[in-house]
Amino acid sequence: MKEIVTIQVGDFANFVGSHFWNFQDELLGLAGDPSADSVFKNQDLNMDVLYRSGETQQGILTYTPRLVSINLRGSLGSMSSRGTLYTEIAHTKPDVVTWTGKVSTQASEPYKKNLFLRRLYEEEENLNMVNEIHDSNNGSQSAYQDKDIIECLENGVQCWTDYSKVHYHPRSLYELNGVWANVEEFDNYGIGRDSLAAQGEEISDRLRFFVEECDHIQGFQFVVDDSGGFSAVAAEFLENIVDEYTNIPVLLYAVQGSGSRPNLQSKKHTILGDLHDAVSFSRLSSYCKLIVPVGLPSLSESKASRFLHIVDEKHYHSSAVYAAALHSISLPFRMVPNGPTADACSVSGAVDVHEVVQMLSGQGRQNMVSVLDVAMPAPALTGGQNELSLLENMQPLTPQIAEDVEDMQAIEHMTVHGALASEGHRASVGEVKDTVDAAFRCANTRPMFCHLSVALCPLPIPLPFPLIFGNHVGQHGELMGGQITNSSPKGSLDIHSIPMAARLRSSSVVLPFLESKLRNLNRFGIARGAAGAEILRSWGFGREELVEMEEMLSKMVVALRPPHLSSDSD
Amino acid sequence: MSLRVLNPNAEVLNKSAALHMNINAAKGLHDVLKTNLGPKGTIKMLVGGAGDIKLTKDGNTLLKEMQIQNPTAIMIARTAVAQDDASGDGTTSTVIFIGELMKQSERYIDEGMHPRVLVDGFDIAKRATLQFLEKFKTPVVMGDEPDKEILKMVARTTVRTKLYESLADQLTDIIVNAVLCIRKPEEAIDLFMVEIMHMRHKFDVDTRLVEGLVLDHGSRHPDMKRRAENCYILTCNVSLEYEKSEVNSGFFYSNAEQREAMVAAERRQVDEKVKKIIELKKKVCDGSDSNFVVINQKGIDPPSLDMLAREGIIALRRAKRRNMERLVLACGGEAVNSVDDLTPECLGWAGLVYEHVLGEEKYTFIENVKNPFSCTILIKGPNDHTIAQIKDAIRDGLRAVKNTLEDESVVLGAGAFEVAARQYLMNEVKKTVQGRAQLGVEAFANALLVVPKTLAENSGLDTQDVIIALTGEHDKGNIVGLSLNTGEPVDPAMEGIFDNYSVKRQIINSGPVIVSQLLVVDEVIRAGRNMRKPT
Ligand SMILES: Nc1ncnc2c1ncn2[C@@H]1O[C@H](COP(=O)(O)OP(=O)(O)OP(=O)(O)O)[C@@H](O)[C@H]1O
Ligand SMILES: [Mg+2]
Repeated sequence: MKEIVTIQVGDFANFVGSHFWNFQDELLGLAGDPSADSVFKNQDLNMDVLYRSGETQQGILTYTPRLVSINLRGSLGSMSSRGTLYTEIAHTKPDVVTWTGKVSTQASEPYKKNLFLRRLYEEEENLNMVNEIHDSNNGSQSAYQDKDIIECLENGVQCWTDYSKVHYHPRSLYELNGVWANVEEFDNYGIGRDSLAAQGEEISDRLRFFVEECDHIQGFQFVVDDSGGFSAVAAEFLENIVDEYTNIPVLLYAVQGSGSRPNLQSKKHTILGDLHDAVSFSRLSSYCKLIVPVGLPSLSESKASRFLHIVDEKHYHSSAVYAAALHSISLPFRMVPNGPTADACSVSGAVDVHEVVQMLSGQGRQNMVSVLDVAMPAPALTGGQNELSLLENMQPLTPQIAEDVEDMQAIEHMTVHGALASEGHRASVGEVKDTVDAAFRCANTRPMFCHLSVALCPLPIPLPFPLIFGNHVGQHGELMGGQITNSSPKGSLDIHSIPMAARLRSSSVVLPFLESKLRNLNRFGIARGAAGAEILRSWGFGREELVEMEEMLSKMVVALRPPHLSSDSD
Repeated sequence: MSLRVLNPNAEVLNKSAALHMNINAAKGLHDVLKTNLGPKGTIKMLVGGAGDIKLTKDGNTLLKEMQIQNPTAIMIARTAVAQDDASGDGTTSTVIFIGELMKQSERYIDEGMHPRVLVDGFDIAKRATLQFLEKFKTPVVMGDEPDKEILKMVARTTVRTKLYESLADQLTDIIVNAVLCIRKPEEAIDLFMVEIMHMRHKFDVDTRLVEGLVLDHGSRHPDMKRRAENCYILTCNVSLEYEKSEVNSGFFYSNAEQREAMVAAERRQVDEKVKKIIELKKKVCDGSDSNFVVINQKGIDPPSLDMLAREGIIALRRAKRRNMERLVLACGGEAVNSVDDLTPECLGWAGLVYEHVLGEEKYTFIENVKNPFSCTILIKGPNDHTIAQIKDAIRDGLRAVKNTLEDESVVLGAGAFEVAARQYLMNEVKKTVQGRAQLGVEAFANALLVVPKTLAENSGLDTQDVIIALTGEHDKGNIVGLSLNTGEPVDPAMEGIFDNYSVKRQIINSGPVIVSQLLVVDEVIRAGRNMRKPT
């Protein structure tokens, strides 16, 4: 078994992570639920890759994500940083046993748990007493209707813990203290610099705890919110990781919510934002082998949300889409490889993190930036005539991507899971493979190489998933044709699962993204009289360091430019 | 003025309003922290919105837990935290000193004095105070055989401000012995060579010094011994797990055999490394009752663990980087990065190695070592917040001992220094100063009294009585501090109350710097949301 340890740094990264783990939790639940669809029973997915087994001091067995999540102090809402499982028994009246003098207690107003969390808590309580009752029909006893819960999440999610149904290990959730800035103010590389200083060692220790117990770790799945100060935190953390775990590959997702910087409107702030993005990207990419920028300025208006209803301001919405894509990409990492003869196999195309990183960034142009595409939901293999095919439906979640660029040297890693053959029928693994092969054969542009992984198991939609599906999406994620009168967006009550396709693509389409970073760094930071030179100095960057960044970016750009253009100077 | 253009939403405060905003911020922080000060201070239990508990009597920890939003308060907090980073103590004193300097300044400024003039006076007073500190400090000789008594007194003074007396006293010996253990002649003291480890234990609060090392993980093989005596210790940083090489990604092999051959070859390379370790083990252990323990910074995969276990070797993987250094200092030998030229000289030695399991947590004790230069302080406590608070106190104590060894001097505590310095400034320095800067010297001198005053206040004593009694004694030539139990002047030396010289010096140094910055402001931009009170 080859373990993955996940790291989430920053607010939006944890929003994405929260959905990601909800999906995993849902899969685990469905696998053990006798009334669930059989496709969830034998998934041929080894969840131990992402989860660890443990035991509390009271001897209770636990199963929790291999996860280190870094947050600002105060951003965990009503969830205790110790998680929920390993609580101390005598939680009621904490005595001060170290001081006989005066004690003053300063208690913050307790966070009110929302309906969803109260329901979770109730169910847990019931579960503890349930053994005697044995009545499977008492789920509806709860005082809150599912409908109310969903509505309350739709309108009231403030932090990622508000919709999390997962039990976390006490060493997973780490809060940075002494930053003295709230989430909105923690908005640039400079402010995040050095905030790891005193706590870096403690965080490394947390990570070590999860790595030590791995028999054979395959890689780190690292998600960072790179819209602000957390880039710097992550860069410092990554530097430690590269140093300590040199040969363990890091798959880095740099995620941003839509409209992440509402307060950056003036010219000065635009410069600040552009510089931040440039610096942050070059720092982060210097510590990993593969970086995947994720997060569109407006997901709601993008092609990727053709079948979705996204409200851009809601991180709860956009993070759900990104999390779904991350989930799909991660499936092959835990597929249980079975012999080619095994019939009725439910997975194919297992790879590990190292192989994916190597495949996408380790050959040819050594392009370390990959684009993330998604089809959510993925269309049926035999779509109607005017339906787009699977490949045509893949749309980027990476910003600033060139469209309609032919890149003969592109390399792709694609996962399709839960695909439907035609309405209502799940396609077999073989059918999916054949269809994709055929599609490539008749496509007019084709990558140099595409690795395909297929699984039968679709993306399950857990209760706290947001109301983001358009009304063309059916209960099993099938796309329904015809005109349907406008009704409100659908969520987990209407839709149980969806077929998904996601793809990492190493291609020159990423050039505009890279070029803008390079241009901004030069124009605002390095050129004579650059408007942002002072900002960069205050962030602690010397000229040499900046020039080095510039060189690195320009190398990336040059490697991707078509040969006849590469003589162009910037 | 250009500032106004940059942020149209910000409100520009005029000089006087800006100044008062700064003064209020400083006072606010002062008020929050002052009850912390000294052995009669108040411990604070902070309960978060989700029920998380933090326990602290330390200025530094408290500041970091606070959600400070006022930019002035943040500046002050950063100064105080920097104080802690540099000297390990004195954060509370720094904050209240800054607060008091601002309060004193306010009086004079309200009477129409220009801040610049005050600041000039502060400057003079600061330099004079630092000179005075040089005369006032008590030199201690720290040769090859340091004066353990004085070290204990300094440690005890600090730790008793954080933990109740008998708990503090138990820790004092441990702390002093820990620092003396890692001290090497002619070398700077590296406190990282004292590991601080903790265990959760239902009811106990207990702490002990382990001469040797405690690791927070155990072996990962069911057949490995949980306890062994007479152990050779191999400290290494060598990957003992099968890793794919850069080129060996599955896709580039046309057929399965080729791929398998490659995998087998790479596996063999790992096995070879393990065999070299086994060879060395046989060489040193065969025919004796000794054991062999491998502690590796890199990974060890199950096949490698199997091979080692079969030879009776205990192996731990993914040890902390810092423990590589500590192990060598504790057990001897050297940390090796390759198994190519292993010799018996690379090995360290420990009389006893054993594992302790608590739920899913495992600990490995490496004890009975010869002549260690690294050690572990092991804390047992009933819950995380108690453990964290004890850990903070131990860190303070360790720093205090290290400072004393390096400063080769200490300073009489319990307010003695502050009162003496104040009298010196008032009686000797002030008259040498021309013009109104005198008032700056006076303000500075009086601000120093915030320490004895706050100590008195926290003990329920009348601050005016106390100050009169103390200054009276000093004018008679008796150097006294405040007994917090009786309220009477006492000789701190008799009571064993000593503070660190370097801590005091830094408080005197950094306080006025920030105060000057805060006083000499022209305009401050304020965005509406930054106006909240610092608490
Ligand atoms: N037994 C005592 N009697 C009187 N004064 C004491 C005694 N012990 C310590 N003090 C005084 O208490 C002050 C130190 O208090 P404390 O350690 O709480 O604050 P700090 O060192 O300024 O900040 P912190 O330790 O929070 O970083 C020193 O001035 C010291 O002289
Ligand atoms: Mg102190």
